[in-house]
Amino acid sequence: MHNEVVSFINSKVSGANATLNTPENGDSSVSIDASKILEVCQALKDGEFEFNVLQVISGVDYKEYLELVYILASFTKNTELLLKVKLDRGTEENLPSVDSVTSVWSAANWQEREAYDMIGVRFNNHPDHRRILTPDDWEGYPLRKDYVVQEKYHDMVVNPEAKVNTADHMFMKNLKESYPDPKKVSGSWKSDDGDAAEAKE
Amino acid sequence: MFEFVNEKSEPLKSELMTVNMGPQHPATHGVLRVEIQTDSEVVARATPHIGYLHRCMEKHCENLDYRGVIPFADRLDYLAAMSMEWNYVLAVEKMLKTEVPERAEYVRVIIGELQRIASHLMFFGTYAIDLGAFTPFLYAFQDRENILRIFEEVSGARLLYNYIWVGGVWNDLTDDHLVRIENFLETFEESIKKYHKLVGENKIFISRTANVGVLSKEQVYDYGLTGPVLRGSGIDWDLRKNRPYSIYEKFDFDVIKGEGLKGKTGDCWDRYYVRMMEMHESIKIIRQALAGIEAGPVMGKVPKIIKPAKGEVYMRTECPRGELGIHLVSDGTKVPYRLKVKSSCFTHVSALAEMAPGMLIADLVAAIGSIDIVLGEVDR
Repeated sequence: MHNEVVSFINSKVSGANATLNTPENGDSSVSIDASKILEVCQALKDGEFEFNVLQVISGVDYKEYLELVYILASFTKNTELLLKVKLDRGTEENLPSVDSVTSVWSAANWQEREAYDMIGVRFNNHPDHRRILTPDDWEGYPLRKDYVVQEKYHDMVVNPEAKVNTADHMFMKNLKESYPDPKKVSGSWKSDDGDAAEAKE
Repeated sequence: MFEFVNEKSEPLKSELMTVNMGPQHPATHGVLRVEIQTDSEVVARATPHIGYLHRCMEKHCENLDYRGVIPFADRLDYLAAMSMEWNYVLAVEKMLKTEVPERAEYVRVIIGELQRIASHLMFFGTYAIDLGAFTPFLYAFQDRENILRIFEEVSGARLLYNYIWVGGVWNDLTDDHLVRIENFLETFEESIKKYHKLVGENKIFISRTANVGVLSKEQVYDYGLTGPVLRGSGIDWDLRKNRPYSIYEKFDFDVIKGEGLKGKTGDCWDRYYVRMMEMHESIKIIRQALAGIEAGPVMGKVPKIIKPAKGEVYMRTECPRGELGIHLVSDGTKVPYRLKVKSSCFTHVSALAEMAPGMLIADLVAAIGSIDIVLGEVDR
């Protein structure tokens, strides 16, 4: 199906540069040019593929660039599609921006607000461009890889030292030191010493 | 002499009043705040505000190994924790291309459908409370208790189980459990007929829910609504039927959809009806699974440290409240690079602003109850 989608997009929207990604593991996806997202979404909804539902907009931070994954589904043709656009990381004052698809699916309204809140992407012509999960005056975008929690919010300490739970970490660390075979100790929490021991295996 | 101050100026003005419903409102099933602008008793505009239960679970998962995420998945929709972890586990298995033993699949289906019944019973009880009837809540909890006891015995927990693991399930169901589930279904089938008669056919209940909060097919697709809300609007769609995962293609069951029996198709009564009748279908599925289950292992071969190859998957399943989707990106290490949860409750709340205008405030309570949200899944 993906090959037909690619040729369909390229024939309907000029300059979309749709390409197919087929990774060795997992689902295939279609990448397009970020500036053409609105036209492509409109074409996919109205065209022969009938992608009538926007499932989710998922943002991934790949450190060099950001990627938005629009997951579309057709409830009439029983198909789903991962549509990807690549964006620059931008800066604090000048966030990367992309056209809003709220005019195509109303579901995009809240999904785009969440993407803005969590990954820091601006959506042009969005009807209600606010943060959604965090407070309006929160700083930073939590799901970026370089995110650091702000120290204070309205004079309240965000992570007071006395309340940070280090018990899990210390428990695993102590267990690794005291257990006869440290390789058999495997904890959930990421810790530097634990990772190094397991990497050697 | 007394003078009318206002005599020469304009006549008395009227304006909309803003009322906050929540975040601690009993009818919102958690910490949802709906900012309502009212014109006397009629809602002119409703704006839902969410995020009071936001834990940024997706960020936490980037620091946990693949097995460690399962308890976090439980805490999404804490009233249907088994379904949540099942979806996450399926996503990981799709990535690892793991084979799951036959018996484990059967156990998962039995447990997953029992969870659906427990979740729908919770809806039934709380929805009746929302509309002013207290007795159904006690009935619902009595039956839910039977299911939770079975869950407690097999998994050790009553609410957050960590039971479905990558490659199978943690613990096997004994023959005694299977007999008890069968006996439970026997009595329960009679009880839900009774409950439906008590509540669904009740004149007051019908006048509170019929023709209230109607969602058309177009609106449902536009907002991406799923699950009982989608089927309540008369759309024949169920992932278990249309895109079967696990072993659902083996079972014979019907997809229930709203038919507008008491009012327009897609009203609150239809959504209630879909959930009540779905419990009957779940009973059918469990009975077939109990007949087909055979002895065998319940855990497949899974590497000690789970390290899926580079790639990404999107996995969606039919959970009690709608379709849950998990978008999982792996970079080849032992922690997920990115995990994104497509929550059905989140999209359902977003449709509230569309449903509300023109409703009475009391009807808004009925509408919020009928889309059956759990704030743990909305805020994640």
